[in-house]
Amino acid sequence: MEAIRTKIDVAGQERLAEAERETVFEARDVSVFYGGQRAVDKVNIDIYQRLVTAIIGPSGCGKSTFIRTLNRMTDLVPSARLTGELRYRGIDLYGPKVDPVEVRRRIGMVFQKPNPFPKSIYDNVAYGLRILGMKKDLDQRVEKTLRAAALWDEVKDRLKDSALGLSGGQQQRLCIARAIAVEPEVILLDEPASALDPIATSAIEDLMHELKRDYTIVIVTHNMQQAARVADMTAFFGLNVTPEGSREGILVEYDKTEKIFTNPSDSRTEGYVTGRFG
Amino acid sequence: MRDQYEVELEELESLLREEGELVDRAIRGALNALARDDLELVDELIAFDDEIDQRYLRIEQGIPSLLARQTPVAGDLRLVLAILYINLHLERIADYCVTVAKLVKLAHGLPRDAGVLEALEEMGERCREMLSTGLEHFGARDFKDSQALIDMDRPIDRANRKLIDRLIALGPEESQREWAMRMILVSRCLERIGDHAVDIGEQDAYLVRGRFEEFTDASHKLPPVKT
Repeated sequence: MEAIRTKIDVAGQERLAEAERETVFEARDVSVFYGGQRAVDKVNIDIYQRLVTAIIGPSGCGKSTFIRTLNRMTDLVPSARLTGELRYRGIDLYGPKVDPVEVRRRIGMVFQKPNPFPKSIYDNVAYGLRILGMKKDLDQRVEKTLRAAALWDEVKDRLKDSALGLSGGQQQRLCIARAIAVEPEVILLDEPASALDPIATSAIEDLMHELKRDYTIVIVTHNMQQAARVADMTAFFGLNVTPEGSREGILVEYDKTEKIFTNPSDSRTEGYVTGRFG
Repeated sequence: MRDQYEVELEELESLLREEGELVDRAIRGALNALARDDLELVDELIAFDDEIDQRYLRIEQGIPSLLARQTPVAGDLRLVLAILYINLHLERIADYCVTVAKLVKLAHGLPRDAGVLEALEEMGERCREMLSTGLEHFGARDFKDSQALIDMDRPIDRANRKLIDRLIALGPEESQREWAMRMILVSRCLERIGDHAVDIGEQDAYLVRGRFEEFTDASHKLPPVKT
């Protein structure tokens, strides 16, 4: 008799079933150049709606460069150039009719170091809303946003105080609040917790779990355990050294986070996540 | 890179290897004690279990410490989990050896049947073979032959069932019946050792392939053997 082979499926993985996935970004052969130097080489990736997608990889592998292409922040670097195709909801993000300002409203970004405006807590959140003319019910919008960013209880009694008086972790959550105030669809986070202590970091991570109900989140992180904790999908970027000796970032492997951290397909991923190379 | 981590992982694996060798000696000892009705060996064997438990405990304590400090992932994580489970299986096998030893003591002085003893010896040797195959595959990160473990386990299961008929037929004397009862339990212990060896093979497969599959389970065993 044939041995019975039972496949054990871990519950909860169904969430990521192919059929349910809606693609937000499609990158096809996306390369990024700074001057003549290629920083990222031919990335192909689909990023899915209302999931947290983490980008991990060693320094210089182009993860920050890549995440910045997703809301055209790379436009702000004069020597930067992108080839290939990057689609957002099926629309060519770099098409001639696309307004980069509108792109950045729909696709918000939070950076490594908290960078609140030197204004009050309230005005930091209200700033984008005023610019966009979303002035109706401003107080309610600010409160709702601060609640969504898990900051309301800590700041409700000092909304008029300077944002610069907040702790680093609070400032970072304020920056996330500022990003979500204008009701984007996607939030890009570039090393959002690397300047924070473990408690502030865990507050940001909790927040990500909350926010992914409503937003699609892409996070670049150096901290692999953070990727393992917060991400549904993980992309591992590696470094490719060309015969001429220049270093280019490439997407090595992209899969469910659980797969990347228990049974990666590529030996380079295995080497990096186990801390042996990279 | 991560030298200390590598050292600790290797240490755990070498402790497991050591434990495996000791467990093999325990099975051999149990079989010898049975074959020779050797009470001295029985006592030695019972004491010897402490040696095995010592390795078992060191692995058992080493793993949470490694998990907490080094957070192994990917292949390393699978290795640590496989060590954790194989450690348990080895410890259980050793316990069965102690049980066999105690049964030998209880059966001492009762009339013995050479045919039954030969069959048990044969089962035991099969168990040793399975265990060493399972552990070799683990060391070599090889699972292709795990099917071999299932194939090896079948005659053990079959022998276990056949023995029962044979023991029932031994004779009506109380002493014969008592010996038969003891030997049924010995047979059962050996059969369980075989099952643990198959489970070690499942861990080999998990380690190499990254997904867990049960080769066989209690509700999907072999069809009944016609004797």
